[in-house]
Amino acid sequence: MSEWLVIVGAGVVTFLTRASFIVFADPHKFPHGFRVALVFVPAAVLAAIVVPGLAMPHGSLELSTANPRLLAGAVAIAVAARVKNPLASIVAGMVALWGLQSLAA
Amino acid sequence: MLPNARSEFLAGCRDISPVLVGTVPFGFVAGVAAVGAGMTPFEGIALSFIAFSGIAQLVVAQLVAAQAPALVTLGAVLVVSLRFLMYSASFSPHLAHLPARWRVALAYLMTDQGFAMGMQIYGRPGDRSLRHWHALGAGVTLFVVWQAAVIAGAVAGAQVPAAWSLDFVVTLSFLALLVPALRTRADLAAAVVAGAMALVAAGLPYKLALVTASLAGIAAGVAVERAHRK
Repeated sequence: MSEWLVIVGAGVVTFLTRASFIVFADPHKFPHGFRVALVFVPAAVLAAIVVPGLAMPHGSLELSTANPRLLAGAVAIAVAARVKNPLASIVAGMVALWGLQSLAA
Repeated sequence: MLPNARSEFLAGCRDISPVLVGTVPFGFVAGVAAVGAGMTPFEGIALSFIAFSGIAQLVVAQLVAAQAPALVTLGAVLVVSLRFLMYSASFSPHLAHLPARWRVALAYLMTDQGFAMGMQIYGRPGDRSLRHWHALGAGVTLFVVWQAAVIAGAVAGAQVPAAWSLDFVVTLSFLALLVPALRTRADLAAAVVAGAMALVAAGLPYKLALVTASLAGIAAGVAVERAHRK
């Protein structure tokens, strides 16, 4: 029951944020400070998801070379900084992870 | 459909196709994650059609698995969806002349990839009057491929061997969006503070770390931007 509440609620939240200015509001009527803050949303949210995914894959901090996801993530960052196609970085990261995992096995 | 509208629509389908190679595994993982979190395949697929947002779907899966309260889960969905406010604000001047049904449809179909494509298309010189058909073509293509991938993931679900570490595709696809988003020193500050805070706050109850870290990162970005201007 509460899962359906979350499912429908997630739909409402994602639609309202997407539709906010396209359907409902004029962006020029919003305070400047709010618009400045919005610029940093992608960098902050994405980093808050990515960093724990690399540094604490099992729920606790693993900052060592024994953590293959940390190293594979570094490879993916290096590729993403040079190659525009996001797929290149995803593939490089997965190949690096599989390589490191098979070395450790 | 006017012949030009049709060709714009098809151009949208074609132009978005390179990113589908990332959409397919990401959608598959989102489907697997929903079922892995304890939702039924039907619930996972319904979530995907209703929310149509990979990040939101993964956050819901993570928090449902952690048995977080519904309100905390929706708060986290709101935080990860804040970027849509920015996309919506940037896109709205281009769509302001369209009837409401068009704006509702294009808002529903708004994604990270669709936004990036749309800004590129509207930035091109020449006649812009039919470019919403291009955005629709790109959006519908992403939607269809995404849902097919989610359904495949939700149905295949638990049968993917854990040794494939397919969940890492999720982290990597966010990383692939993150790196190009770091253009200024302030962007970098937002990312570094949010990332560090996500580690420090990992122990917070109700999985509040994502919300806390994101807000700290946004504040850091704003602070660096202000200091830089003075």
